[in-house]
Amino acid sequence: MKNKIIEAENLTKIYKKSVKAVDGISFSIEEGELFGFLGPNGAGKTTTIKMLTTLATITSGKAVVAGYDVAKNPSAVRKAIGMVPQELTADDELKGLENLLLSAKLHHIPNDAAHKKAQDLLSLLELEGAAQRQVKTYSGGMRRRLQLAIGLIHEPKILFLDEPTLGLDIQTRQKMWAYIRHLNRENGITVFITTHYLEEADSLCDRIAIIDSGIIKVSGYPSELKSKLGGTILTLQLTNGADISANLRSIKDVDEVEKKGETYRIKLGRTDALPTIIETVTNGGLKISDINLTKPTLDQVFLQITGNTMRDSSSNGDSYGQRVLIERLK
Amino acid sequence: MFSDTLALTGRSLKKWIRNPAAIMPGLFMAVFWLALFGSSFNPVNLVPTQIVGTQLSPALVDQIKFAMSSVFGGAANYITFLTAGVIAFIVIINMAYGGIDIVIDRQLGYLNSLLSAPISRASIFFSGTLQNFVKAMFIAVLAFIVAVLLPNGLRVGAGFGVLNFLGVFVAFGLLTFGFGCLFTSVAFSLRQVDSLVAIINFLAFPLVFMSSAMFPLGTFPAWLKEIAEVNPVTKASETARLLIVNGNLSAGQLSTMAGNMLYLVVFATVLAVIGYLIARRALRAE
Repeated sequence: MKNKIIEAENLTKIYKKSVKAVDGISFSIEEGELFGFLGPNGAGKTTTIKMLTTLATITSGKAVVAGYDVAKNPSAVRKAIGMVPQELTADDELKGLENLLLSAKLHHIPNDAAHKKAQDLLSLLELEGAAQRQVKTYSGGMRRRLQLAIGLIHEPKILFLDEPTLGLDIQTRQKMWAYIRHLNRENGITVFITTHYLEEADSLCDRIAIIDSGIIKVSGYPSELKSKLGGTILTLQLTNGADISANLRSIKDVDEVEKKGETYRIKLGRTDALPTIIETVTNGGLKISDINLTKPTLDQVFLQITGNTMRDSSSNGDSYGQRVLIERLK
Repeated sequence: MFSDTLALTGRSLKKWIRNPAAIMPGLFMAVFWLALFGSSFNPVNLVPTQIVGTQLSPALVDQIKFAMSSVFGGAANYITFLTAGVIAFIVIINMAYGGIDIVIDRQLGYLNSLLSAPISRASIFFSGTLQNFVKAMFIAVLAFIVAVLLPNGLRVGAGFGVLNFLGVFVAFGLLTFGFGCLFTSVAFSLRQVDSLVAIINFLAFPLVFMSSAMFPLGTFPAWLKEIAEVNPVTKASETARLLIVNGNLSAGQLSTMAGNMLYLVVFATVLAVIGYLIARRALRAE
């Protein structure tokens, strides 16, 4: 069994003695894991990250990050972690490389090593060409990549990513996730990530937790959560009338069959049953005129857990920062 | 801690150098105060040459003019008197408004990225002070040059040398650093630019007007004079004037200067400590 690199026990954050932002959550993350932390706006994601990265005090409970108690040894935690905040904090007026070198200096990396590491990261994130340009000339995707590089300059053990793909177009977003996957698989960096894009969390994260109203509602492997929600639905439209519902029901892994006219709605425990179903249909002398397979998505899991109500709360009431963020991403 | 402070200060100064227009507001302020406000008033011009039809003798007029000038610390004209005051005003305003960048750094999340890095809170605070200090002192030197270049502008006393010049800016340096620490710590404590501006207006103007920056203490009512006499702005302005108006200082003037400098050193130290304590509180985890 691998080492636990992040451990939270009954972690609670109460702001101003009354607002419970995080309400006694417990979880642990293994070294090398890519852990997705999901939840609607105002659920407590950013507050949790703030506690784990020493930016917010812990009201009660305990967090151990990279082997250090966050409350007792914040400076050791700061050395071990890299932070990529939701905001774009790279300095507009400075060049890309200068931003990286400044961050290296603040992590006390010797000059030569800093230059080398900066070049490596710039080439990994395909920013070499822009290294000598002021950040204000960057596109939204380039800014996000630079932000990632800044969080990585000191080779942290754990990387915290708060909505790293927010506001990016689909191509750039996929590219970003490819980088994150690379860092996790190739460099063995443990990644703690929050995101709104569930299909990405699904394809990328080893494990996820869904938080709402400061409480972790579920956590586990994405596949496990989806199958808990219910199986795959196969919809078949057949021609030439004979009822084969009974035949279908007898197939292993077919949970339920519903017939409406010529349309069969078949609930499957596992998709392994598909070939047998097709066989049954053809053996019965029937023809398939339409076929549709719906797998449960993480979106459905998410909506089932967090409900359908819209969340209007802005994250920290800091609308100015939000506006600037949107402006910079344009 | 020292290298972190320098790295962060360097970041801000690099941005400043890349944007030369940033010194324009400070420079305009110096020019307007000195060239327009300073030129429009000269105490010796108030001295009449005749009183109710009776011509005064030129010798008497000169005597009155001399007396008038000595009220203004012996300055040859009002600009010579005013330069020290304008520099004091400029450094205070620059340190105060420099805090806007600090508030914006917080709003943009930049401050959080510093707070989650392994650097001391003292570095964050002192770099905030230091970056504005360098900018303010640069504009202060520019203001001095403007004053010298103006027609009928600043006239230094005979024997004014490099040491005098350095002395002037050591006095202002201490003043700038002290108030800088205070304003910077206030900026770290705030989340809105509006509140900072309100505090600046509340603090900066009384600080300058309750001192001998613009007018000599001799013209003040007793209550205001008592406050002005202990105001560090007065100490710095008077010290600078001593050094500007009198090239070579007498023993008495030297000891006045030494007393003022000591006062300013204590002032700067105390405000650095207070400022740091306020900032440390403001930079705590939320």
